[in-house]
Amino acid sequence: MTRMLTVTPTRCIGCRTCEVACAFRHAEQGVPGRSRVQVRNVDRDVWVPILCLQCDEAACVKACPVFALWRDQDTGAIVVKEDRCIRCNACVPACPFGNLAVEHPKQAVIKCDICGGDPACAQFCPTQALEYREY
Amino acid sequence: MLNLDINGRRVTVRKGTTLLAACREAGFEVPTLCHHEALEPYGACRLCVVEVREPGRAKSRIVTACNYPAKAGLQVETDSEAVTETRREVLDLLLARCPASPEIRKLAAAQGIHRSSYPPDQNRDNCILCGLCVRICDHLGYSAISQAGRGPAREIAPPLKQPPPDCVGCGSCARICPTGNIPMVERNGMRRIWDRDFEMVKCSQCGRAFITKEYMASRVKDSGLPESHFELCDECSRVQTAKTMYAHMVPASPAAKGVTP
Repeated sequence: MTRMLTVTPTRCIGCRTCEVACAFRHAEQGVPGRSRVQVRNVDRDVWVPILCLQCDEAACVKACPVFALWRDQDTGAIVVKEDRCIRCNACVPACPFGNLAVEHPKQAVIKCDICGGDPACAQFCPTQALEYREY
Repeated sequence: MLNLDINGRRVTVRKGTTLLAACREAGFEVPTLCHHEALEPYGACRLCVVEVREPGRAKSRIVTACNYPAKAGLQVETDSEAVTETRREVLDLLLARCPASPEIRKLAAAQGIHRSSYPPDQNRDNCILCGLCVRICDHLGYSAISQAGRGPAREIAPPLKQPPPDCVGCGSCARICPTGNIPMVERNGMRRIWDRDFEMVKCSQCGRAFITKEYMASRVKDSGLPESHFELCDECSRVQTAKTMYAHMVPASPAAKGVTP
């Protein structure tokens, strides 16, 4: 059974609980990481959570010159191998959806990895705007 | 698959694994300065030394873990007296070469060395000649910089110490340098590295500069991605995606105005 992290923007209330959940899930040595999911305000009371769509033909994977990005076969997510990343930042603008970012001060590229198959954002979303559903 | 012992623990690794990868996989920390996962092992910094005893041999020896292949029946010690002593000596020498480098000082302090026993070289920069910058540049296919000079005069430099014509200004060398010795400055949409100025691509909406034009052209050529992928910065792409997504779901909303789903 394939599971997919889905976004339903019409249900989002802009509470940003997903951002906090993500930052704490990706915390290192007690310091919250930068959130991999970003909630953006489109219009008055209109919010959209933006996170990696795990594209079939991903621009970030193509843009990487050292193959530091690849698809994890267990979760289907595209993951960054931080040890391999050379911090050239080619993938960050290459993503047409803006779903990669640079985490300072390490300058490592970060993106949604579906938390290895148990996404914290979907777990804590109060309105199911983010869901980890079976297909 | 093959079995070997690391610090007395039986470890199973795939054939072709290096000792460094095997040690780290088993959870034993081995310090490195010149190692990078994206590059071939090089064995320049000599910090990753471990003690190995091959099966059927009485004497053990010191090898660099990063470029030593794991063999069946090998007995590896990552923290023995001989290893610590060698590592201390290496750090003592590195500290004499780069007494001002915070990274080297931190590593040396972890081994209890706060002052080198050799006369410190005050006139040198923080380069430890690990070759990471040269190797990453070669790996990316630009080969803009190389090692120059011999013996004590050896250094990392662009050809003839002039601004390198083959450089694309990707900045990988500056960011990969373990001691942060390669200066890279970004100002007013320009990036300066190796004394050469590069014009940067600016986001067509917010104007933030994020990648040099030369590096973008190179990545576009190699990856086959259209140049339009590099028009917006990540934040502007995010806002654009939010608008498009919403417009797609609720075409009648005011947010959908002016957006083609």
